[in-house]
Formats: sequence, structure tokens, C-alpha cells
Amino acid sequence: MISLRSPFGWVLRLMAVLTFIYLLGPLFVIVAASFSDTGYLAFPPQGLSLRWYRQALGDVRYLNGFFVSLRLAGTVAVLSLLIGTAAAVALTRFRFPGRALLEAIFLSPLVLPGLVLAVALTLFYAAHPVAPPGLPRLVISHLLVGVPLVLRVMLPVLKRVDPALEEAAQNLGASPLHAFFLVTLPALKPGLFAAAALAFIFSFDEVEMALFLGSARDAPLTVVLYGAAQMQMDPTVAAVSAMLILLALILMVAQQAYANR
Amino acid sequence: MTTASPELVLEGLARRYGNTTAVERMDLAVKPGELVALLGPSGCGKTTTLRMVAGFVEPSEGRILLRGRDITTMPPHRRDTGMVFQSYALFPHLTVAENIAFGLQRRGVPKPEAAERVARMVALLQLQGLEKRLPKQLSGGQQQRVAVGRALVINPAVVLLDEPFSNLDALLREGTRIELRRLQTELGLTTLFVTHDQAEAMAISDRIAVMNKGRLEQLGTPREVYDRPATRFVASFIGRANLFVSADGRTSEDGIALDIPTPGTWLLRPEKVTLDQAPATGPNSVAGTVEVVSFLGTGAQAVLRLPGGRALLIEGPASLADLRPGASATARWTPQDLTLIPGEH
Repeated sequence: MISLRSPFGWVLRLMAVLTFIYLLGPLFVIVAASFSDTGYLAFPPQGLSLRWYRQALGDVRYLNGFFVSLRLAGTVAVLSLLIGTAAAVALTRFRFPGRALLEAIFLSPLVLPGLVLAVALTLFYAAHPVAPPGLPRLVISHLLVGVPLVLRVMLPVLKRVDPALEEAAQNLGASPLHAFFLVTLPALKPGLFAAAALAFIFSFDEVEMALFLGSARDAPLTVVLYGAAQMQMDPTVAAVSAMLILLALILMVAQQAYANR
Repeated sequence: MTTASPELVLEGLARRYGNTTAVERMDLAVKPGELVALLGPSGCGKTTTLRMVAGFVEPSEGRILLRGRDITTMPPHRRDTGMVFQSYALFPHLTVAENIAFGLQRRGVPKPEAAERVARMVALLQLQGLEKRLPKQLSGGQQQRVAVGRALVINPAVVLLDEPFSNLDALLREGTRIELRRLQTELGLTTLFVTHDQAEAMAISDRIAVMNKGRLEQLGTPREVYDRPATRFVASFIGRANLFVSADGRTSEDGIALDIPTPGTWLLRPEKVTLDQAPATGPNSVAGTVEVVSFLGTGAQAVLRLPGGRALLIEGPASLADLRPGASATARWTPQDLTLIPGEH
């Protein structure tokens, strides 16, 4: 262990502080700018006002976008959880040829840039309109990343659950299905919550696929925000962004608090 | 007990994985109230056998009968077995009382009756005051008792124990196994018990099934397997053994003079050998050099190096430890102390 009081320890401390500034700086700038009393985005903020928040909350486009995003992210979170957990159970409980390969394939969408996925999906839907445009298409597309996210969280959680637990439940008279729901599922609870939160936040914050595949009528909040940022750069954009950051923060804290119970 | 029909019967039970055999055509009948140990080194097939009885491993061949009913293809949750797992497998989100009540709820036992049976089991296992605790708030010994209670409270036709003491420290282990044996005898539980520890098997079993490489080598009372081992493996796995192979009944392969009725492999237990300083006197005595002595408290152990190169193991009174390593000594035994191992030629 390196002592934090040694000269090298001080360098480490400095690095940590710089990293935090680098990571959190943009968030700080946008949150600060949202309180500015000017008609344009300004940093450092001039004056202090909540009027951009009032304006954002009163704007029907933002409100509509928020509810579209909520529906989208909620659906994606639930479906990702169902599909991802089922896949994780299969990958950890059963031995079959090609298991490791399948696991790698399942996780691969996580390493693709969002734009690549968005373009590929646009071309795909143009050739094969398998789902109606708008939200349904967007849900299916977001599942491509949502399911791997859930899988990523649930695989290690499932690997830590003693397989003898289900056997014990069966030995005591529970059918395999009962054993799963009575014993394995409760053991997975904290993981399930974290996985769902991750999938929800991803879908809620996603821009590229939403831009390419969403319809103008059902535009998610991120798309509305993107449009507004291009048209008029007033602090409303910053206010909405600040509220998005707050939402993500609340979800992360809730999930951590739940896991540490 | 000897006249009652067996509670659990394994008939030609076998399990193969591809070309490897985990368990080879095994026959075993466990009488009501009897505790039978499946004893052997790791990989001998004892756990596979237990898991076939529980229903977690499908036999490749043979039948399992429980109280006369063929349960060979029955799913685990319909079989009437109560298993104690090596890891205990306590449900981490349920309290002690809820863990013990799990099997009763699955069986649809009415709540008041279930509560009463759980309370009785809690008292029997001295878990009072811990009912509302979660498994992670218990000591290893307490967890073990909850696992036992959970398996016993459903009154299973057969109790299956998979190395139930292996996660306890040595001191706790001996007390716990005596306690479990007392419980098993009092409640008249038919029990199949997997262990790799021969001392454990000897201490609490009515009969021991010694297994090696998937094969049942011998089935008998602890005395029988110790005094009359059927194979060389059983002789060396249960207790300590000096083995002599003689082709002519006069001398062993390594030149020790013997006086035995037939050629074959003969077993001489270390505690049957005495050691003194007088010279050797013909057959059944041999001189050598004391190599190691160890004082064991209740007695002592010595290793005598013989001219042919063999190390003869001797167990005797504590005075054995007074011998100095390097001293000359003579080992003696009587012909009746030698036991023929029938499985070897």
C-alpha cells in the first residue's frame, strides 16, 4: 500500500481531484448555467433565477417529451429485465456447447458506438419494416443495449448464488418453478433493481437511435432537447438537462441504498 | 430392526458420464432407523449415489425403492427425502423459523400445526431465541443445526446427509456428530450419510458402505470393515494397516518369516504388534531399527524400519514413546492377529 502522506500519495490525491473535476465539470457548468438570469446560455451564470425551470416545466414540448421518454424507458427497463435475467439464468444454470461464445455475442452490442447501431437499424427497418415506426421501433432498438446491460449485472450475481439453494427448496417439496421464484429470485433482488435502473437510465438518456428511429410526434425528451439546442440556445435547455441529471442521480442513489440495505 | 423390511433399497444402481463410470451397479438396503455411511475418498461416487437418491442425478441403470415405492424417475420435490447439504444451503432471505417451516408450507401443513412443529424442532436443536435471525447472523454450528432441523421437521422417509460436519472446526465436529447420532437414534430416522472421514463413519454408523472408484467395496458394521476388510483398499482406508503378501505361506514377498495357513494378502493392524528389545525368535517376529516415535496422549506410535526396507507401523501404550530413534527393537505378533484379505490373491 502507498501511504497517502508520502509525496507519491499527494500526487495520487491531486490526480483523483483532477479526475473528478474532469468528469463532473461539464455537469457543473450545465447546472450552473441553468440558474442564469440571462436570455442566453452563460457561464459563469449572471444573476440567479428559476425562471428557466418555470419555462421548461410549462413548455408542452418538453412535458410531452418527458412522458414519451418515461414510457419508452419504462418499457425498455421491464423488457430488458425479463429477457436479460432469463438469458443470465440460462447461461449460468445450464451447460451447453458454445455457452461462452453465446455470452460474448449477448454482450457485444455494449461495445458498438450508438451511432453505428442507429445507422444500421435505420437501414434494417427501411428494408424490413418489422415494427411500426416510432415508439415500438425505438423499444426494440433500445433492447439491443438494454438486454446486455441487464446481463452484465445479473451474470455475476447469479454466479454467486449457491446452486444448492434451489436443490434444497426442491428437496423440501418445491417444484423447480416454485424453487426459482421462492428462493433464487429473492436472492437476486438487489441485482434486479440495479439492472433495471441501468437499462432505464440508458434508454431515457439515449440520443442517436431516438433521433434516427423516433417519429416526430412521439419524440423522446432527448430528441426535443437536441432540437431546441440547435434552434435557440436559451437556458431552458440547461434547466431540462439539470433535471435529467437529477433524475439519474436519484435512481443511482436509490439503487445503491437498496443494495446496501 | 433386523426383521423389518428395508426402508431404502438401491438395486443395481449405476451412473455413467460418457465413458467414465461414477457409480458402478450398486446394491444397498437400508433398514428402518438405520444409519448407513457412504465412505470413500473424493471421486469415489458416494455423493453421486446420495444425489441419485435425492433425485438430482438421474441413474443410468438400476432402481431406487423408498418404502417399497419405485422413485427412480420421480422428480426431487415428490420424493420423501430430507437432505442436509454440505454448504447447508440455508435460504438467505428467510429467518431461522421460516427456513425450518419451508418444507411444511410446501406440504400444505396448516399454520398452527406448522408453528408447533417448528417450535418443537427449534427446542430439540437448542436454537431457542434465534428464530427471528437470518442465516448470516448465525455461527457455523448454529447454521448447521438449522439445516438439520429444516430437513428433519418434514419427517422424511429417509434423511440424506452430505458431509454435514465438514464445515465445522474439529472441536465442534465431534460434539455435533454425537448430538446428531443421539437425535437420529431417538427419532428412529433412516439415514444415509456421505463422508470421506473414516473416523466419523466409524463413530456414528450402524453400517458402513466403503466405496472406491465408483464401486461398493464392502458393506458391514464398523467392526466388520475394520476387523475383516474385504479388500486391500478397505484395509488401508479404514484405520492403519501393515499388509503382507505371501505366495507360499512361509515368508512375505519382502522376506519376513510368517506362519500362516494359506498364501494371500494378510493384514496386521498396528495395535496388534508389540515391540521389545529381545532378539527375534523365528516366524511372527522381526527385528529392525526404530525410525520415528510419536506420543499421542492416550498411547504412542512407532515406525520400525525392517532390513527388507519396509516400514512397520506399531501402536501401543504411551511407553512406546520412550524408545529412542535409531535403537534396535523386535516386533512380535501372534498368528491369530493376521487377517486374510479375501479380495486379494
